[in-house]
Amino acid sequence: MTTKQYDLVVVGSGPAGSTTAYFAAQAGLRVLLVDKRQELGAPIQCSGAISRHGLTSVGIEIDAEYIHQPIYGFRILNEEGLEKRIDYRQLKPTEYGEAEDQVPLGYVVDRRRFDRYLMRRAERAGVDVWLKTEGLGYESRGAAGCTVKVKRFDEEIEIQAKVLVGADGLQSQVGRWAGMQTHIRINELASCLQFIVDRVEAEPLLEIVTGHEWAPGGYAWVFPKGEGYAEIGLGVIPTMTDHDARWHVDHFMRSSFFKERFADARILEVQGGGVPLAAPLRQQYADNLILVGDAARHVNPITGGGLHTAVSAGEIAGTFLAELINNGVSPLASELKGYQDRWYEAMGRQMWRLYETKSEIFRIKDIPERNRQLYATMSEYFSPDSQYKKI
Amino acid sequence: MSNKIPVLFSIGWNACINCGACVAICPQEAGFISPFDTIAVDRPCDIACLLCEDICPVSTITHQQISLSGQGTEITTPGTPS
Repeated sequence: MTTKQYDLVVVGSGPAGSTTAYFAAQAGLRVLLVDKRQELGAPIQCSGAISRHGLTSVGIEIDAEYIHQPIYGFRILNEEGLEKRIDYRQLKPTEYGEAEDQVPLGYVVDRRRFDRYLMRRAERAGVDVWLKTEGLGYESRGAAGCTVKVKRFDEEIEIQAKVLVGADGLQSQVGRWAGMQTHIRINELASCLQFIVDRVEAEPLLEIVTGHEWAPGGYAWVFPKGEGYAEIGLGVIPTMTDHDARWHVDHFMRSSFFKERFADARILEVQGGGVPLAAPLRQQYADNLILVGDAARHVNPITGGGLHTAVSAGEIAGTFLAELINNGVSPLASELKGYQDRWYEAMGRQMWRLYETKSEIFRIKDIPERNRQLYATMSEYFSPDSQYKKI
Repeated sequence: MSNKIPVLFSIGWNACINCGACVAICPQEAGFISPFDTIAVDRPCDIACLLCEDICPVSTITHQQISLSGQGTEITTPGTPS
């Protein structure tokens, strides 16, 4: 068996893992990034929406390579189709718009291209990247570091590292290796399905459709996807419906106020996934190990958005680990707690607040009242003068 | 929630969209997975909470109960409430 040495091994090359690896390598660490897939981003489990700020705040250049569609605002709809339009081209024309001196509010990205772009950024910063490489397990050796076992194609390889970063998504195995409390409750995991469709008109706005009738426990969305395509999807909480997500998408497309608009829809792609509408993990570290991104449930509990939160947490993780290791600090749980503390100050506290807000809405038993609250909260959340600090 | 009778899961691979939601909700320890990013289908699940069946966006996970006496299996109809 081959043995290799690194400062960090990052399992999972999605936005969180690649960004962690990038910032760690920039600060001088020797980093190995592994992913078991042969093609990053696929199978797509995400709508791909991210704010422009979410990209630029972690130094990701805006690049046509990964952008499907610029976004300028939102349309929030209630169950009957009443809408609140939040178009930043009208609300803040000095900043947002299509003109040369204006910018979009955000983008819908191509996750295959986006994930590859971020991995390539890490690779150019000096990170070694191994695809077709699955994590098999890890063993802590305390202050000395840890041993990570991986399988690259058919070869088993042992890596000596100081810290293992679990960025292996919501279905994280790394967290389970360490015996961490990663279990999510069924009433806090949205079951999501979306279609990429042709022949459905969509403005460059993110449309969010609330209402128990269409998406019990979650919401439905219509996002423009570039090239004239659109994305129609929704997430439901399984305990709040007798039907699966697929049935609900069908119901939304055939029976809602958008049925004429969707009548000629032709499905080009089918995608889905689980989206946590939950609190972040209470503990995101162990001896020689941290979790980042979906694996730590770094997902906005109101919107289900996880791209901005993943890359922001990745920057915090990579920078923190570089400081720790460059200063020769032992990578034990007691020290790695500092990562979570820093993350908590930057975004965690706000995520817990949003979780409380979301929980209050879904505790309401009366469905029309719950619908009203969700519509009002979504409308408020995406407004420029929102009381919620955006994450 | 748990019916305590071990079950063997079966996945309709043609319908499966490889979304990983079943693994995300699964309370099993690490490694109860298939090579296709789903819950394991090659060994019994002794928790049998069936949450994976509830979360599946395309309802393509079903199960057989494994009888405790070891006298073969009793096959349940897909969609049978636990």
